[in-house]
Order: sequence, then structure tokens, then C-alpha cells
Amino acid sequence: MEWPALLLSLELAAVTLLILLPIGLWGGRWLAYHSFPGRAVVEALLFLPLVLPPTVLGYYLLVMLGTAAPLGRWLQETLGVTLVFHFSGLVIASILVNLPLMVPVLQRSFEAIDPELRLAAEVIGLPAWRIFWQVELPLVWRTLVSASVITFIHTLGEFGVVLMVGGNIPGETRTLSIAIYDRVQAFDLASADAMAFLLLALSLGAVTLSFALAKRGAP
Amino acid sequence: MSTLVASLHCKRPVPLAGTLTCAAGQMVALLGPSGAGKTSWLRAIAGLLRPEIGTISLGERCWFDGERRHFTPPRARRVGFLFQNYALMPHMSARENVALPLWQLPRQQRLAEAEQWLERVGLAPELWSRRPAELSGGERQRVAMARALAGSPHVLLLDEPFSAVDALQRQLLYALLAQLRAQVAIPTVLVTHDLIEARLLADEIAVIDRGTVLQQGTTEALYRSPRNGRVAAILGIRNRFVGRWLGADPDHPGWGRLRWLPTRSAPDDATLTVLPARDKGRIPAGQLVDWVIQNDALTLIPTSAKVTAASPTQALLPVRVNAVRSSGEFSQIVVTGVNPAVAIELVAAGPQRHHWEVGVPAQLLIDTSWIHVMPVRRP
Repeated sequence: MEWPALLLSLELAAVTLLILLPIGLWGGRWLAYHSFPGRAVVEALLFLPLVLPPTVLGYYLLVMLGTAAPLGRWLQETLGVTLVFHFSGLVIASILVNLPLMVPVLQRSFEAIDPELRLAAEVIGLPAWRIFWQVELPLVWRTLVSASVITFIHTLGEFGVVLMVGGNIPGETRTLSIAIYDRVQAFDLASADAMAFLLLALSLGAVTLSFALAKRGAP
Repeated sequence: MSTLVASLHCKRPVPLAGTLTCAAGQMVALLGPSGAGKTSWLRAIAGLLRPEIGTISLGERCWFDGERRHFTPPRARRVGFLFQNYALMPHMSARENVALPLWQLPRQQRLAEAEQWLERVGLAPELWSRRPAELSGGERQRVAMARALAGSPHVLLLDEPFSAVDALQRQLLYALLAQLRAQVAIPTVLVTHDLIEARLLADEIAVIDRGTVLQQGTTEALYRSPRNGRVAAILGIRNRFVGRWLGADPDHPGWGRLRWLPTRSAPDDATLTVLPARDKGRIPAGQLVDWVIQNDALTLIPTSAKVTAASPTQALLPVRVNAVRSSGEFSQIVVTGVNPAVAIELVAAGPQRHHWEVGVPAQLLIDTSWIHVMPVRRP
């Protein structure tokens, strides 16, 4: 068992989730309540990472964020940030990969709220933040929790994009799934076994938890 | 004591036109067919819909003025709104739902007040902690009513509140509404497509069609003198007929003559019945008109009885009974005139009603002072 790899994976999953939560809530809600020209394109782009091979997405990120590309060079020259083969690059890649698991899912959930409930809340005189906090959030809560669990676990096990953007630098970009791959390549099946089993157990546990939450009803 | 006045003339977002007035303590029923724009009117008053042109005010307070671009948002209007499907928060208990409008109070206080309201609307205490899904239609309706009133609203707006409950519940809720209204003297607007409900509950009816308030008045006034044929149709006035105004009657000042036509497109025929009708001097001679007459003005008399009509206030026509439907306590009788051969409906009560059978000839005595003539609306 490679504990640093596990720790890094958990850290990546946590950071990704923390950044994606507000993006998912705000973006999903905004898309649910607004219509604008080009909305279909935005929705398609948000969905794209789900159907695109992770290596393809990783490749483009590598090309765009690498120091040979204008964006990558600008980031390095002005902000002193190098994303490729760094943890921060992994975070950006993970966010992009997990967008379709968050934004469209929450969008559907906001769309499913009876519009009359929001109208009723407005007439009642609730301020906008209370409408969000007391009416909308409790009604999308179950979706939010299960989408978060799935996003977390999905990030924990992400391989293709992570390998393309981050490579395999211990302590920086060597996540659990890359460690497994690496161990199998080195015929260290005992280590691979332990790590693979851990990921399997975590994933199963998370999916079970998310299903159970969905059944139990809103808090 | 503030009067609600909404005067709208807009095409967007939905076409709304006309003026609606509702005094404090008064209930006005917005009556019209489905899709007539009733709910849009209600939403405009609540501020959920922003019209283009017009004004909405409650007493001295201006809620909307299209010209001055003034618009008070719904949360600042303090309106109690009862939605057709109640719009109760599904994740909250009955108590929490009713406490929502009291959100500015501390939690304990607002829950206590919510309980007082639930008691007033007659919801059993064991149901207070239940969520809407665990309540029956009638119980949900009571919770919605309590929530609409809990915020001490300045105006109460009810959007088809009784359409989703059964007949027995509806009677109980009518009584509840009457009782609650006696306690809060605010303008109340009730949207309904149910004529009986409108007549039973409201002080005044505003007839609405295609977004336009066609006429507002007391039930009695509307039935007696609807502004036009469409109003008469929406009010469900059965005896609506067509005629041609022949002009003033030189023999009887203040009266005119009305030729009874079988249909709008029927050619004029000198043999058609001519009735006397009050002449208000507003309709030019030769004009095609709609006219109505209320049941109160119609008496069915056996042919054996010798009656003479006192002109111009009475007219006597030979008719034949065409259909008799007993509705328990009264009978609906349809008779057909001779020239024109049009069907006239009467409601008869008392023991005499059992004498009438299909095919029997009779005389119809018309109190002509009840004839209400309306110019045909140009489409």
C-alpha cells in the first residue's frame, strides 16, 4: 500500500469537490432558470468530458497548459504558475472531468422544482437568499449529496487525464490509480491488490451511501 | 381600509385589459372560461407578473405604474396568495409552512403563531407536524389558507382554491372562508370558473375573457344587465336571444320595439314576434342586438287560463313544452316558441311544476321590463 499516493488521491478528490460544489450549484441553478442563445452549446460542452476519452481531454490540457502553448507560457511568465506535472494541473483536469457529474445533474434537479414553489416563496416575502436556503437547497439536497459522493469517488479513481496532465511524480501527481498501474507494470501484484481492493471498497461504499441517501428522503 | 384598483392595458407578457376594483372587506370573483387570463390578473396584482402598461394600487400605495416605471416587488406588497395547487413546501411540515411568512420573528414565536393559525383553520393538532404529502386535499387547502393569512396580508388572492377538493370538503371550506373573511377586512380576489361558486361567495363578479375584464358588478346587476352577449354567455345566462331593434314605440314613451330573430343570420320577417322593451335611446333603429331575459320574468300558464297581457309591460306568447327535467327541488322546463321557434328555458318550483309534460301547449307570460338589450359586438 502506497500511503502517499492514497493521501494525494484523497486530497485531489477533496479539493476538486470543494471547488466543484459552488460551481455545480451556481451553474446548475443558472442553467435551470435562464434561457439564452447558445444554451445548447454550453450544455453540450459541459457534457462533453463524459463521452470524450480521458486521454483526449488530457492531451488537449497538456497541449494548452504546457509552457509551449501561449496560455501555459503566460501563466508561467506572469503568475509563475506551472500547471502541467503539478498538483494544481491535476485539480483543473479533475474539475473539467467531473463537470458533467455535477452541473447537468444539479440543473435537472433545480428544473424539477415546481416553479410555483418559488413564486409562493416570493409572494410570502422571503428574501432571495432565504428562498435559496430554505426552499431550493433542501429540494436539491439529495441530488447534491449523491452527485458529491460520485464526484469524490470518480476523482479518487481517475486515471487517464491524471496520467496525461500530471505524469507519475511521487508526492506531486502519483495518485492511487497511477500507483496501481505502476505496481502492476512492476509485477508487484501484492501492492496493486491492496490498493485496488481499497478503491473497490470505497467506490462500492460510496455508491451504496448515495443510493441510501436518495431513498431516505430530504433532511 | 384600502381599496385595490388594478387598471391594465397591455399586450405583454400576456394581453390584459380593463379595470378591477375591490374594496376592503369585499370579495370579487374573477369569473371566466379556462385560459381567459384570470390567473395572469392575479399574478399581476401579486407582482409575479410585470405588465407593460397600467396601474395597480392599494389605497394610497402605488404598486405598479407603467408610465412612471414604478414596480413594487412581490415581497414588498404583502399579499396572501392561495395557489391552485397550494404550492406548499413539500419538505416542510404544515406548521413550518404556515410559519414561513413570519420568517422575521424568532423561531419559537413564529411557530407558536403558525399553530394559532392552524387552529383557526381547523386543522387537527396531530396533523401539524405532517408534511403536505401526508395530508388530504382538504387538509392541504386549510394549511395553504393559513399560510396565505399568516403574514397579515393587505390583500388576499385566491386562485381556484376549491377546484381540487370534493364537493363535501368544498362546502366546509366555503364556510371556513366566510368565517375567516369576517375576521380580516381586506380586499379579496377569488379566481374561479365555477359560476355557482362565484355567485355563492363573492360580493361582486368581474367577468373576464381573453384577458379583458368585460364587466364588474354585483351578481344581481350583472345578471339583469350584462354588457354584451359574451358576458351573458360567461355568466351562463340561458335565455340569450338575437333580435333587431326597431326603434322607439310612438305609442309608449320610454319603450321601444324588438323583433325576435331565430338566429343572427336569419332574414328579417314581418311575421316574427315583436316584443316591447325599455328604450334607453342608445341603440339606433335597425341595429342587430343580443338580448337576455331572466327566469324571474317568465311565467308558464296553462292554455285554459284566460290571461291578457298588459302592454307594454307584458307579452303573452303561445309555446309548447319541449323538455322537463326535474332536479329534485325544482324543474327545468324548456319550451319552444312559435315564431321564431326558439327554445326558452324556465325554472319552476312549487307543486304546479308537476303538471307540465312534454308536448303540452302553454302560454308564456313575459314581464318585458326585464328584457335587456345589448348591441352586437363587432368582431
